[in-house]
Amino acid sequence: MTITTEIAGRSAVDAATAYQLETFLKREARLLDTERYDDWLAMLADDIHYWMPSIESRRRANNGGATHLPGRMAYFDDFMEHLQKRVARFKQPTAWAEDPPTRHTHVISNVEAYAGEAEGEYLVYSTFVNYRSRVETDNDLLIGRRTDVIRATQDGLRLARRKIVITQTLLQAKNINTFL
Amino acid sequence: MCKNEKPINFKPPRQKAALDDLDQYVNMAEGRMSRKVFWERDIYEQELEKIFARVWLFLGHVSQIPKAGDYVTTSMGEDDVLVVRQKDGAIKAFLNTCPHRGNRVCFSEVGNARGFICNYHGWSFGIDGALRGMHESGAYEASGFDKSQHGLHEVAQVDSYKGLIFGTLDPAAPPLKEYLGDFAWYLDTLLDMDGEGTEFIGGCVRSVMKCNWKFGAENFAGDVMHAGWTHDSGAKAMLGGAVPELDKCAGDSYHVNVNGHGWEFNLDKVGNSATFGDKEVRRYIHEIQPKVAERLGHTRSMMIGSISSATVFPNMSFLPGQNTFRVWQPRGPDEIELHTWTLVNKSAPEEIKERYRRGTMITFSPSGVFEMDDGENFEYSTRSNRGRVTREQDLFLGLGIGTRIEHPELPGNVFQGQINEANQRAYYQRWLDFMKAESWDELPQR
Ligand code: FES
Ligand SMILES: [Fe+2]
Repeated sequence: MTITTEIAGRSAVDAATAYQLETFLKREARLLDTERYDDWLAMLADDIHYWMPSIESRRRANNGGATHLPGRMAYFDDFMEHLQKRVARFKQPTAWAEDPPTRHTHVISNVEAYAGEAEGEYLVYSTFVNYRSRVETDNDLLIGRRTDVIRATQDGLRLARRKIVITQTLLQAKNINTFL
Repeated sequence: MCKNEKPINFKPPRQKAALDDLDQYVNMAEGRMSRKVFWERDIYEQELEKIFARVWLFLGHVSQIPKAGDYVTTSMGEDDVLVVRQKDGAIKAFLNTCPHRGNRVCFSEVGNARGFICNYHGWSFGIDGALRGMHESGAYEASGFDKSQHGLHEVAQVDSYKGLIFGTLDPAAPPLKEYLGDFAWYLDTLLDMDGEGTEFIGGCVRSVMKCNWKFGAENFAGDVMHAGWTHDSGAKAMLGGAVPELDKCAGDSYHVNVNGHGWEFNLDKVGNSATFGDKEVRRYIHEIQPKVAERLGHTRSMMIGSISSATVFPNMSFLPGQNTFRVWQPRGPDEIELHTWTLVNKSAPEEIKERYRRGTMITFSPSGVFEMDDGENFEYSTRSNRGRVTREQDLFLGLGIGTRIEHPELPGNVFQGQINEANQRAYYQRWLDFMKAESWDELPQR
């Protein structure tokens, strides 16, 4: 019996590559859970674009009901410089909302990987559950989907593009003091 | 247990918020106030009635709904409203609820429509709010139903000031111009730098904070003091250094307020704009300042991007030059919805608008390096008051009592020094005025 991973003309990556990509995403999640932000930055390509649009509810008759479009308000629409600045804040001793530390868990699932558009790049879909806790009763749950471009380089895999789409139009939290 | 012993009544006598004696909650002459105004349900219900059902509230920006049939949904207090551009270019607003059985009429936040149809029994309304038709219309005809009596409930007055749309649910409210009064002179530094107007970048970021709605509004009305402390981490990340100690240069800095609207500022021209750490945005401010000076005079031209913040009473706030624009929507005494947009000059180059969009996002949005530290302050200033004894302990806001000055140019009540609580006092004084006044005639001019 042959197992084919071809769906709608696209071929999923082979098992060994899938394993590497999945391990990359799991490692990333663990680094974020443990506030190893410099190590996290090192997993990103220099030309990273990290985008988390704000979600709008529109009727299907308007723009096909699209919940997000480029160039509009967003939570993140960052290149490397802005991501570094965000990390710089996390590391300040006066980042009051991080002391005592926020307790994070990032759960990654539904990983699905294909060959990307450029040589050596992969298109990787995943879903995430992010649970953050502070003080006694501040528990914030975010669930969404990600579309990544992950690039194979001489130094290993690097995240080159990420789009994060959450389900909430009204963010049920006072902030997003993490990366997703 | 002894037979004749009565069961213990564990229910303590209900704490009645003494609405008949509101003065006990706010004593601005002494700079102290009660925490109960941030917690008690009875007080909150009165706020919805005495403030949100009467005053002019921000509904949107004209650039959000340029064409006939364009609409946005928002709320006035906890009343959901639908704001719609009409065929003749006018703007109307309606309660977003069906007059039949009360279902919500419009479920999307933004869009364009030729009319609105209720999902429940199919009543359909024109963009002017009139009831046009019903599913099973024959049955209505047989009942002698008069369609003209059953349109959407229209918001009593809608008007705009230089692009900002406001509405009031009170037919007796004075005109918007009068409500803004001399504060419009200051608003022009934001809305009328070059006569070409402003616009919102597309989209809105909405988030929930478990805090009383007044905390955000008073913070933007006057609390620059918190910036150097709360936002030290954000400033160091974005600018590579701490916020300067503002009290050291108090000479050129002010609190001004008009009928509870408050603006704190200095005249450093670019302090707020600099928070992006983006020299192109600073360059833009430097470039336009001389033209703004020709139009609005030197003083106001130095306010366009300076370290400053402002609130239009009761719940619309912004940071000049940084251009985050927001409304603190009440959702109970201990919860808000925060709606934020980015405001830009229509005439600004596209590239500058884009820098503003990214800039407001990384500084003042739920993921912003500044705003991230605000939420916990507002939430715990609210939540601590669940303590029965805690709630009895008054708060201090007496900073800068006695700093009022006469100024040859600046209208309204002017106070020397940006590190001040004059605007917060004026804000709560206005809150008290509205809570006590039965009619607009009873409201003093402040
Ligand atoms: S509730 Fe709207 S049609 Fe009945
Ligand atoms: Fe703040």
